[in-house]
Amino acid sequence: MRAGITAQALRRHKWALLGPTVTQCVASTVITMMVTTAASLGAAPLSPAQRAAVEATSVPEAAVAFALIAVYMAILLVGVTMNLAIARQLRDIALLRAIGATPGRIRRSVALQAAVVAVPAAGLGYPFGLGAGHAWVGGLTQHGVLPGVVAYAPSLAVLPMVIGIGIATSVLGGLAAAVRPARIRPARALTEAATRRPGIGAPRALAGAGLVVAGVVLSAVVARQAPERAGENAFFVMLAMCVGVGLLGPVLLRGVAARVRPFSRGIVRLAVDNVAAASRALSGALVPLVLVVAFALVKVASHTTPAHRTGLREPAGELWTDYSGTAVYCAFAAIAAVATLVTGLVGRQRDLAVTRLAGGTRRRVLAVVAWEAVLVTATALGLAAGIAGAVLVPVLRSAPYVPFGYLLAGVALTAGVVAAGTLAPAVALTRGRPVHVVAAAVE
Amino acid sequence: MEPVVELVDVTKRYGRAAALDGVSLAVPAGTFVAVMGATGSGKSTLLHCAAGLDRPSHGRVRLAGRDITRMREGRLTRLRRDRVGFVFQSYNLLSALTVRQNVLLPSRLGGPRGDLDGVLRSVGLDGLASRPVGELSGGQRQRVAVARALITRPAVVFADEPTGALDPSTGATVLGLLRDAVDRDGVTVVMVTHDPGAAGFSDRLVLLRDGRIVADGPTPDPVAIAERLRAVSAAGLAGAGRAA
Ligand SMILES: Nc1ncnc2c1ncn2[C@@H]1O[C@H](COP(=O)(O)OP(=O)(O)OP(=O)(O)O)[C@@H](O)[C@H]1O
Ligand SMILES: [Mg+2]
Repeated sequence: MRAGITAQALRRHKWALLGPTVTQCVASTVITMMVTTAASLGAAPLSPAQRAAVEATSVPEAAVAFALIAVYMAILLVGVTMNLAIARQLRDIALLRAIGATPGRIRRSVALQAAVVAVPAAGLGYPFGLGAGHAWVGGLTQHGVLPGVVAYAPSLAVLPMVIGIGIATSVLGGLAAAVRPARIRPARALTEAATRRPGIGAPRALAGAGLVVAGVVLSAVVARQAPERAGENAFFVMLAMCVGVGLLGPVLLRGVAARVRPFSRGIVRLAVDNVAAASRALSGALVPLVLVVAFALVKVASHTTPAHRTGLREPAGELWTDYSGTAVYCAFAAIAAVATLVTGLVGRQRDLAVTRLAGGTRRRVLAVVAWEAVLVTATALGLAAGIAGAVLVPVLRSAPYVPFGYLLAGVALTAGVVAAGTLAPAVALTRGRPVHVVAAAVE
Repeated sequence: MEPVVELVDVTKRYGRAAALDGVSLAVPAGTFVAVMGATGSGKSTLLHCAAGLDRPSHGRVRLAGRDITRMREGRLTRLRRDRVGFVFQSYNLLSALTVRQNVLLPSRLGGPRGDLDGVLRSVGLDGLASRPVGELSGGQRQRVAVARALITRPAVVFADEPTGALDPSTGATVLGLLRDAVDRDGVTVVMVTHDPGAAGFSDRLVLLRDGRIVADGPTPDPVAIAERLRAVSAAGLAGAGRAA
C-alpha cells in the first residue's frame, strides 16, 4: 500500500514501461514455447526405441536449456529497459525523495511497477508461446529431427508457472535498475534530470571492463570443454561480454562519436553530437543489439567455418534445430532492442520539436535521426564482431568464416532493427506541430 | 535558543570548483531568511546542503536539532519528511496526482497526518481538492506546493525561487502564505530569490557571491535591497575584471 502511493505517483510515465512490458511478453513467449515443447516430448506415446532416438537428438535438453537462457535474458533485458523507464522518472523520484520517500521505498515501488507489468505481459506471451511451440514441434517433425508420432500438447498448467517466472524475472530486473536512482542524492537527481549528464561512474566502468576481460579469458577456458557443455557456456560468456559492453556503452559511443566528428559536417555533425549526448540512453539499446548480432554470428560461423574448411555438409535436421533456436533468441533480443530504441526516442520528442522550432525541416530532423541510426548500427556491428571473434577463435582455432551473403544479410537486418526502433517512431513523433509538443511538455 | 538550521564552515565542491566556500550560517526558529546573489553564486547549493538534499564536501550541518552531516540516508529522509517542507520554482508536484493526493503525499509516505481542509483553506484552495494538478494555473500549483510544505507543521520550509515563474501579484499571495506561517505558527523559512520585492517579505537578508556570504543582516526595504544586490554584483564584476 505504501509502496503503492509512489508507484501511483509515477504512473505518468506509463508509456515508458512499454519497453519492459514488450520484453517480458517476448520472454514469456519463449519460455512457454520451450517448456511446452519439452513437456510434449515427455508425454508423447513413444516406443523405447523411438524414445532413445528422441533423447539422442538432444532436443529435450535443448528446450530446457533454451528456457533457462530465456530466464537470464529476461532479467537482463527487463533490467535494461526498466533502467530507461526509470531515467524518465528521475525528476519525480527526486521530488519524492526530497519530501520523504526513503531509498527503500523507491526500490519497492520500482519493483512493484515491474511486477505489475509482468502479469499482463506473461498472460499475452503465453498464447504466442503456444503458437510458436506448435510451429517449432511441427518444424522439427517435418525436418525429420523428431519422429512423426510426437504431437504438440499445449498445457494450461504452464501458465501459472510462466506468470510466476515473469514476475520473478521482472522484479529482479527492476531491482537491479533501481539501485542507482534510489541511492542518488535528491539534489543531484534534480539537476541530473534537467541536464542528463552522460558520464559513467568509476564502479560502472570497472564492472564493464571486468566483464569484458573476464569474457575473453573465460571463452578460452570454455573452448577446452566438451562440445555440448561448451556451446551452452559460451552463451553465458557472451552474455557477460554484452553486459560489459552495455555498461561501457556511453564511453564507447562517445568514443565513436569523437572519432567520427572531425570528418562530419552539417546534419551528420548534428547526429554525431546527438549520439554523444544521448549515449546513456542509446547504450541501453546496445546490449540487446550486440547480443543479437554476436549470437547469430557465433552460431552461423560455428557451422559454416568447419563446412568451409572440410567441405563436408552437416545433417540438415541438426542444422535446422540449431538455426531455428538461434532465430528465436535473435528475435527476442531484436524486439528488446527495438523497444529500448523506441523508449529512448519517445523521451526525445521534445528535443525533436525544439530542433524543428529552431529551423530544422521535418526531413532534416529525420535525416539526423537516420544518421544517428547509422552510427549506432556501425558501433553495434563492430562490438558484436569483436565479441563473436573472442568466443569463436579459441573454439575453432582458426579465423571464423562466414559467407559474404550471410554477412550482408546480417548487416541489413541489424540496420532494419535500428531503423524500426528510431526512424519509424521519429516519423510518427514529428507528425504534429512542434509548438504543440513543446507547449505540452512544459510542466 | 538553538538554531533550526546551522551550517558551520560548509564547502561544496563540484570537481575542483567550489560552489560553496566556507559558509557559516545559523538561523533561529521563527525567522524568515532570504538568500540572494548573482546567478551561479551558490544559492541553490546552499539550500540543498542546509536541507539535507545534498552533502557538503566539508563542514557540518545541523537541521531541526540534529547533526545531519553524516546521518544515514534513511534517517535523513524521515527527518526531512517529518520536519522540513519544500517549495521549488517548478516541478513541485506530481502531475499524475490530484491536489489532495499531492498535499497528503508526506503523510502517505509515513509522515505526520495534517489537517487537509484547514491547510487548503489557508492557502485558498478549498473546493479544488479533487482537481488533477495538471489542470491548475501556475499560481494555484505553487499554492498546492505551499500547502504540501506546511501540512506536516514542519520546523523549517526551504523555498528555491518559489515565485520565479509567477506574476508579481500572484507571487505576493504565495509569499504572504509563507510569511503567515512564520508569524502564526513559528515556522522558519529559508528562501532563495532573485526578486527584491520577494525578499522584502523576509526578516533577514543573506547575500552570496562566488560561494561566500558577503552580507548578512536585517532585511531593508526593496529599493535598498536592489541597491545592495547591484553593489555586490558590481564588486563581483570588478573582481572578475581584475582577475582577467
Ligand atoms: N551538479 C552540479 N555539477 C557541477 N557543477 C554544479 C552543479 N550544481 C551546481 N554547480 C555549479 O555550482 C555553482 C553554484 O550553482 P547554484 O545552482 O548553487 O547557483 P545559484 O546561485 O542557485 O544560481 P541561479 O540563480 O542561476 O539558480 C555554479 O557555478 C554551478 O555551475
Ligand atoms: Mg539556483
